[in-house]
Amino acid sequence: MSSAVEKLLRLADAPDRFDHSHADLRETQLAALDERLRERRGRIALLARRAEDAGVGEIRDRADMVPLLFPHTAYKSYPESFLTEERWDRLGKWLGTVSPYPIGPVDTSDVAGIDDWIARLEAAGHYVSCSSGTTGKSALLIASERDMDWTRKDTVNVFSWGSGVRPARDRRMIGLGATAAVPKNVITAQAQEAAFGDPARERFRPPLPPITVGSLTRTVVLRKKIADGTARPEEIADFERTSQERRRAVDEAVTATAEALVRHREEKLYIAGMWNSLYQVARAVRDMGYAAADFHPDNCVYVGGGLKRAQLPDDYQEYVHRTFNIPAERDFQNYSMQELNSGMPKCRKGGRYHVPPWVVPFVLDEPGDALLPHERGEVQGRAAFFDLSLDGRWGGVITGDRISLDLDPCACGAGGPTVRDDIARYADLAGDDKIGCAGTVDAYVRGLS
Amino acid sequence: MTVSRTRPPSAEPVVTAPFFQRGDVVEGNDTVHRSRDLGVAFATPRLAMDRIVHPRDEVPPLLDVPLAEIIDFLVETGARLRDPGNPFVRDCVDRMSATHVLPRQVLEAQVAGAASYLDGRLLRTVVEQNFPDPAALDGWIPKQDHTGRRSYVRAFAPRLIHVLPGNSPGVAVKSIAQGALVKGVNLFKMSSSDPFTTVAILRTMAAIDPGHPVVRSMSAVYWRGGDDTVERVLYRPQYFDKIVAWGGGDAIDNVIKYLGPGFQLVSFDPKTSISMVGREAFASDETLDLAAGLAASDVMVLNQEACVASRFVYLEADRAGADRFCARLHAHIAAKAAASGDARPLDRDLREQIDTLAMLDDEFRVWGRTDGTGLVIRSDEPVDFHPINKVVNVVRVDSLDHAVGFVNVATQTVGFYPFDRTADYRDRLASCGAQRVVRLGEAGPSTIGNPHDAMYPLHRFVHWMAHEDGTVPP
Repeated sequence: MSSAVEKLLRLADAPDRFDHSHADLRETQLAALDERLRERRGRIALLARRAEDAGVGEIRDRADMVPLLFPHTAYKSYPESFLTEERWDRLGKWLGTVSPYPIGPVDTSDVAGIDDWIARLEAAGHYVSCSSGTTGKSALLIASERDMDWTRKDTVNVFSWGSGVRPARDRRMIGLGATAAVPKNVITAQAQEAAFGDPARERFRPPLPPITVGSLTRTVVLRKKIADGTARPEEIADFERTSQERRRAVDEAVTATAEALVRHREEKLYIAGMWNSLYQVARAVRDMGYAAADFHPDNCVYVGGGLKRAQLPDDYQEYVHRTFNIPAERDFQNYSMQELNSGMPKCRKGGRYHVPPWVVPFVLDEPGDALLPHERGEVQGRAAFFDLSLDGRWGGVITGDRISLDLDPCACGAGGPTVRDDIARYADLAGDDKIGCAGTVDAYVRGLS
Repeated sequence: MTVSRTRPPSAEPVVTAPFFQRGDVVEGNDTVHRSRDLGVAFATPRLAMDRIVHPRDEVPPLLDVPLAEIIDFLVETGARLRDPGNPFVRDCVDRMSATHVLPRQVLEAQVAGAASYLDGRLLRTVVEQNFPDPAALDGWIPKQDHTGRRSYVRAFAPRLIHVLPGNSPGVAVKSIAQGALVKGVNLFKMSSSDPFTTVAILRTMAAIDPGHPVVRSMSAVYWRGGDDTVERVLYRPQYFDKIVAWGGGDAIDNVIKYLGPGFQLVSFDPKTSISMVGREAFASDETLDLAAGLAASDVMVLNQEACVASRFVYLEADRAGADRFCARLHAHIAAKAAASGDARPLDRDLREQIDTLAMLDDEFRVWGRTDGTGLVIRSDEPVDFHPINKVVNVVRVDSLDHAVGFVNVATQTVGFYPFDRTADYRDRLASCGAQRVVRLGEAGPSTIGNPHDAMYPLHRFVHWMAHEDGTVPP
């Protein structure tokens, strides 16, 4: 147990894990990055290629790692026809180029669809999650059993540190809306329930079918068919009808969830959902005539994911907190993404996201090519991270986010690096207006709802 | 706690981009804009919207200027643009090389090449191809139908907004010339990657005669595409009849929300061009090299920045044959890329996708590296990214009949080899959405005055006005 990676990962449960300063961590993190590169370059094909292109054989400086960080789009680099034409063996081969563990032969002769294929991979120890690409390709992220174990532990630590709620198994769990039923989300929900949920009280689940990878990719598949000109009008009408039914079910679930919350209002609650569903349900509760005073004063809220472009009023967070009587110091927020394995909880005093010692942050220039000089103070640029806890795929990811990273101690007293609460997606920032006559058929496909 | 904000190491240079407002050059540094994909900033004057809208109660300045005189003025402009001593062009290329994706020599050649559009015979042909009777531009044409109903029809001067693309400075010359030929009042909305060329051409015109009606009919300005504070105000039928826009996606979506009665869109759609190469290419080593060379020419039009540049080559061959073709195609493309001095690196996402395909090497094969020096990918189905920056996808097919299935509504030009099989395919290509089929290697040139984007644009620009004048007794 002498490796730098293990040394940093051992801090997972340490109460003072966010106190280590950048200067204190620098050498160990550097050694850990080097260690990861050495043990993985022979095992991840895409990494080997990057290392060869960049001429990087070891990590002596953090800048050496920059050309080896994968863009968040690397996990979308599979040919889409593998998915749309259900060529699972090919998609498996593609997964093999980003996985450090060989994807053994999975019988794909009678696979009934992507969900079935993913289930078979899971049985073989490969956990595939996917991002919800509504307009484009979905990212397919592969992870290992060890990653799932890590998530189980990390998600509880992150929530507990960020909200101040102790994992005392004394709350009724109320789930809002439906989240994608991908392994990482499923395991996160199980771990949260095991840590905070009262085993004697049944968890409330909204009456909605789970959102599987198959249902997420259905839009992608149809979009491709429209672009190719092979989608029949009735096929599009059928899709639109299903979407409409789904929207209706979501609306009905809001009412059912609001009723459940009102029913259990005197119990100590743990409410989990995305901001959009939290807000919709809070409004329904208010419409029923209930508000803060009717709820238990020790409630808590677990927020997963960002706004995902939902249009909400400016004070949506306050509105949610006031509705469910959430104590002011329980404002839990977490900065993370499907591509990473670990969370970065927001502290309650300084209002900043704290980067744990096993996640190495990088602030790059906007194109993501160069590391910005940064030894102290705050720097703004494109966020990249190396999550040393990642086992089932390469830990280095360049994100689509613009962040401000501070290496000086936070106002809350913790000495580690922190991210300012003004994270933005470059894609949402004022765009360029360069247009040209050259373009693709994507411009000819009207949005699917 | 100290907070220090560090800017990227290279401080951004700021170039200035003047406006042209109905004959007047306006300089100013009131607003700084950013050209994102180039990482450069440029400064412009404040946009004076009252100055760029021509009041409806004044007829357009060019209305009573004979077409012949307009053509003479355009021809003179062309001569001045080709003059190496033209200060406006020199200055424009200086500024442009700071903001454009193409290298300087390519830009210089483009401005000179663009000026060749301003040729008297060419311009007259364009008008003649667009209008059954070009006299309708100069006056009211008398008509009478078989019932004895009599009228006059005029191709009346329109009020046009041109949303210019940024990938081809030549479009600026063409748009100005077309706007003048239809005698329109023209507002050019420049692109962030070229906020200079249009103004340089208009200044060249103003140096010939600052009071000329052509000069007084033209304005060229910049605002960020989609900027509501400008577009909500200007995009109204009270100010303009038509908006002539290039591009798709966000660029068009922003425009579409303002369309309505009296404010129409003439769109030049974003296009993908392709090549089709029949098995005849394998007749001999010579024919194989010839076909690969012609295909490379089509791929490398404007270093693949233009819509006519080929991105997919559908090749009738077995895998081994396809590999022979690909190796030669790659050699031709790499040679052209090296000669152009263009070594822009590939976009990171594109690089990632291509490198992935290279690793799936039983189904895909890649010639060249993802470093911007030219690259060929062989596959059995088209790749699902947009090949750009000297990247071409050779799709192996058993028969070109199968290749027709990959033609879609975004397909513009199809370069065909061998030439004598083209006629067998043109109806099917048109039915699938293609707009142009050419001999392989000739994606660039087109017959003067031919339709563009499946229409005769000038015919659509004008405001067709009828003067009904009673019925003649039979």
